[in-house]
Amino acid sequence: MTENERSEMQVQCLQFRRAVGAEPGLKNPQVEAHAAACTSCADYRRQMRSLDGVIRRALAIPVPASRSRASSAPGVDKPRHTRRWFALAASLLAAAGIGFALWSTAPRESLATTVVEHVRHEPDALVTTADRVAPFALEDILAKSGVRMRGNLDTVSYARSCPIRGHWVPHLVVQTGAGPVTVIVMAQEHVRQPVPLRTAGLTGTIVPAGPGSIAIIGSGPVPVDEVRDRVLEAVEFLETGQ
Amino acid sequence: MNQEAAGTDRHRRFAALCEPLRDDLYRFAFWLSRDPQVADDVVQETMLRAWKSLDRLQDGSAAKQWLLTIARREHARLYERKRLATVDIDELVAVDTAALATSDERDQELDEVRRAIFELDEDYREPLVLQVLLGYSTQEIAEHMDLKTGAVLTRLFRARHRLRRQLGLSGEEQED
Repeated sequence: MTENERSEMQVQCLQFRRAVGAEPGLKNPQVEAHAAACTSCADYRRQMRSLDGVIRRALAIPVPASRSRASSAPGVDKPRHTRRWFALAASLLAAAGIGFALWSTAPRESLATTVVEHVRHEPDALVTTADRVAPFALEDILAKSGVRMRGNLDTVSYARSCPIRGHWVPHLVVQTGAGPVTVIVMAQEHVRQPVPLRTAGLTGTIVPAGPGSIAIIGSGPVPVDEVRDRVLEAVEFLETGQ
Repeated sequence: MNQEAAGTDRHRRFAALCEPLRDDLYRFAFWLSRDPQVADDVVQETMLRAWKSLDRLQDGSAAKQWLLTIARREHARLYERKRLATVDIDELVAVDTAALATSDERDQELDEVRRAIFELDEDYREPLVLQVLLGYSTQEIAEHMDLKTGAVLTRLFRARHRLRRQLGLSGEEQED
């Protein structure tokens, strides 16, 4: 190989490695021709593609079963690799001086448990009554939690703003043909699929609702679909505060 | 279409387009912020904004790019609003590797790579995540980050070069 040919080859190697270093999966005639002609560059491309495989696996961290996901039963342990990954992230954050109390390996109380416990502590609300909450009062309660009335919800007999997992949420009681039903509208809590709720004397479910979810609980048979549809018609989720 | 049917239809559309992307959204937010709590907040804010502006998403096949663009903006807004602490990479203390000791060699390798990615500048980390994890093309990354494609390619090359050096894999190629 002449000096000129050697220089030209080096330029081609540099261009090849810059291109493949940015896009290891790059395929075009020039790239393939050089890889066929230069074993060193072909090896470089193999290494970059192998590295990308590892990078992809590293980036695909386990997504925590946080409050924004379908709740797991209390006491269910996280898989070992998930606990290790949390430990790594927590240690790196701690080293960087960023501390978060929520970064704990102890399992959080599930959303289902939180909701049921809250309802159980307000038994006087879940009663059959002809009383109705004034529309303006209901709108006010909803507005505090980033929810707006857009339709009519005239069967609400009870409405309070209650704290659930650090957020103020509307706790309503809706009168239905099957009796009173508790409805908790949680704009900040999301479930991917319905979560059944069952405790002494109470049954219900938490259902996905747009970006958040709605808990529907009653004593005895609960017309979940009817109540869910009625609530979804009547309310609208707004953006969180600025 | 009456109001009830329209509302149900909207919920179904949101569930079909946005829910399947939630995990990718979290991972993107995590690697952008390097903070699981911030990532959680970004995902929540993104989903709320997406819900509110769902009607603006005309092409369902663009849902991923649309959501990640919202997430990028939400991260910037959250950062500005909360004045999140910046971390000087040089001040990161070496992780106590004894705490992460494991007999699983594959886990060890991934932990090492994650640590190295963690230490990349955001300018290099973000395009790498978009390309390798989320399958973005160079053009898509350029549009997402408002850069020229040449700048994206340079950042991707440098990201990999720095990772190779960090992991003790670097060869003869120069970064610049």
